[in-house]
Amino acid sequence: MRVVIAEDLFLLREGLVRLLRAYGLEIAAAVDNGADLLAALLEHRPDVSIIDVRLPPTFTDEGLRTALEARRQVPGLPVLVLSQYVEQLYARELLSDQAGGVGYLLKDRVFNDDQFIEALRTVAGGGTVLDPEVISKLLSRRSRDEPIALLSRREREVLELMAEGRSNSAIAQQLFVSEKAVSKHSTSIFTKLGLAPSDDDNRRVLAVLAYLNS
Amino acid sequence: MLQLILVVAYFAGCVALALRRERARGRSPSTLRGHARALGWGMLLLPLALIAGGLFYPVRWPVIVLLLLAAGLLAVLWPGVAAKVTPLALIGLGLYGFVIVRVLARGGYVLAYGFLAPGQGWARTYTVLSQIWVFLALGTWLAWHMMDRQSRVARLLLWERQKGQGPGRRPRWGLLLVPVAVMAGELLGFNSSLGQGWWHPVQIVVVVLVAVALIGLVPAVAADLALAGLLVLGLYGLALAAMWPVHAPLPSVFTDQVRYGAVWVVDRPSAVLAGVQGLALLAFGMWLVPRALDARTRALFWPAPDAELAGRVQQLTQTRARAVDTAAAELRRVERDLHDGAQARLVALGMNLRAAERLITTSPQAALALVGEAIATSSTALTELRDLVRGIYPPVLADRGLPDAVRALALDTPLHTEVDIDIAGRLDAPVESACYFAVAEALANAVKHSGARHVQIRMEHARGMLRIEVIDDGAGGADPVNGSGLRGLERRLGTFDGILAVSSPPGGPTMVVIEVPCALSSPKTSSC
Repeated sequence: MRVVIAEDLFLLREGLVRLLRAYGLEIAAAVDNGADLLAALLEHRPDVSIIDVRLPPTFTDEGLRTALEARRQVPGLPVLVLSQYVEQLYARELLSDQAGGVGYLLKDRVFNDDQFIEALRTVAGGGTVLDPEVISKLLSRRSRDEPIALLSRREREVLELMAEGRSNSAIAQQLFVSEKAVSKHSTSIFTKLGLAPSDDDNRRVLAVLAYLNS
Repeated sequence: MLQLILVVAYFAGCVALALRRERARGRSPSTLRGHARALGWGMLLLPLALIAGGLFYPVRWPVIVLLLLAAGLLAVLWPGVAAKVTPLALIGLGLYGFVIVRVLARGGYVLAYGFLAPGQGWARTYTVLSQIWVFLALGTWLAWHMMDRQSRVARLLLWERQKGQGPGRRPRWGLLLVPVAVMAGELLGFNSSLGQGWWHPVQIVVVVLVAVALIGLVPAVAADLALAGLLVLGLYGLALAAMWPVHAPLPSVFTDQVRYGAVWVVDRPSAVLAGVQGLALLAFGMWLVPRALDARTRALFWPAPDAELAGRVQQLTQTRARAVDTAAAELRRVERDLHDGAQARLVALGMNLRAAERLITTSPQAALALVGEAIATSSTALTELRDLVRGIYPPVLADRGLPDAVRALALDTPLHTEVDIDIAGRLDAPVESACYFAVAEALANAVKHSGARHVQIRMEHARGMLRIEVIDDGAGGADPVNGSGLRGLERRLGTFDGILAVSSPPGGPTMVVIEVPCALSSPKTSSC
């Protein structure tokens, strides 16, 4: 799996390179600014890219804008965006093309390397991974008088994990329940939210997010 | 000689009689002194009557005696009336002087005018001219001081429509237009070709009437005209002195006579005298300029620290002090948060790692637990730092500016939030920050207190003013005075002359309005 990394802090960039190499991934390019990133993305067409939101030269949301621009030119180009902070606004922008292959995580998540690599693979596979903090904000926002209030506690847990991009089996493992139970919960969730059930993990996530973002 | 003694005796008799009458009326000393002044002005009528009598040629003693008797009677019996007649008599005498000047110019003969007997040649005209202005000035000054400010004439003159109002400062100077107009008329010598016989006094009277009409109808214009006339006449006098005998700077129709105020300019010494007079007029005019101009015109030339400006300075001083206080308090908060939060966690982290290092060979299990703890601590430290940064300057605000930052805020608000933003471009960072936190506070209040279901945020920038409205459909009744959060934000906005207003009637809706005068920088170069 070929990866492009965009991170302006040298230590973090080298740390990521070392981490990914340790997991047997191939580093196509490691850049430190927005312009180089766009060139690298378009040239290498990596299986997945890891992009820091804040990059030179503007040190604002250069990375995010470059990622969006690259995905505009190459639809569905998998990007995992990392940031010191997460904003629903940015998550919404990343998801707006509905093409999948998007990840948006806090930089802290890199500490948990197993989970981070799993998220990376999910994004590379066209899945969607959102940071739990984004999910909880999304859910809290629609908690007062929406159908979402009808969800049971367990159903909410399933929904949160679903939005993080987990498959049914992963959810089952996490919640210590059977996969069948998860499937039952998800059907119930879709019914309560008025969404068409689907087997495809990514579509499922997108449907939920589309509902939450509506 | 005998005549002189008789006249003096008559004067003394009149004064003595008038004083006796006063005493008989039992005036107290203080009012006696006040009345003595009026008595004095009234007594001035007697020499005036003598002068007026002297105007007739050939000398007619019966006329002089009659005038003296009338004046004496008036001064003794009705001293108040006499005092009022005096300034009018003075002005009339002065104006009549102009007629005499013309009579003299035509080669006529005048026995006497005023206190000086006209001599020979140009000196005759000169003595008359100089006295004319003494009479006019004294008469006007007297009239001004003795005028009953509440009388109809005075109010008409001063354009005081409403009773009880003292005469304004500005229209008062308009009265100067009368002498200025008369002097200008004399200088230009207009109508001199027609200036024969009865036309002389008519000319002066017309000039005076026009001036009075202007003062009555448009006092402000009259004041400006008088001022301009003073300055121009003054300059003209200086020019006369400098250019004589080339001739008068202005074409005078009356070529053989340049009558400049009290001076009849015929040779170099008299031209120099005219220059001195011009200088005096100019000085008076300059002195008058700041006093007679209205406030707005005055501010053009003399930008004085007016009340508005002083208020502004005071306001700026206050807001600056508050801004400094707020910044200092903010720094203290950041310092405390760092000290108690991230810094403490890093210390704990270091201790954990050190302990793990010691235990790693003897008891790997315990060391592993410590390392796990260290990881958790570092994660918590990161979260705290993130929150701190968000509280200082939200990253999304730095990245995207106020509109997107407010949209992000709205997304994070657990209410139905409608955002309507019409802003193209970036604002100054401090303004953006203050507005962001104000909106955040308003939203937080809506979530915490109002029980609202919907919140509407409207934001627009028009005519140099940023206006933000946060309206919720909650219960209302919010008390902005006790909301210390909003108070602080109001102070913060005050630094930019911004205001924060809260309208929250019981039963809702609550509306928070923020207005900040500010400029937009160029619109965003890119957007996504």
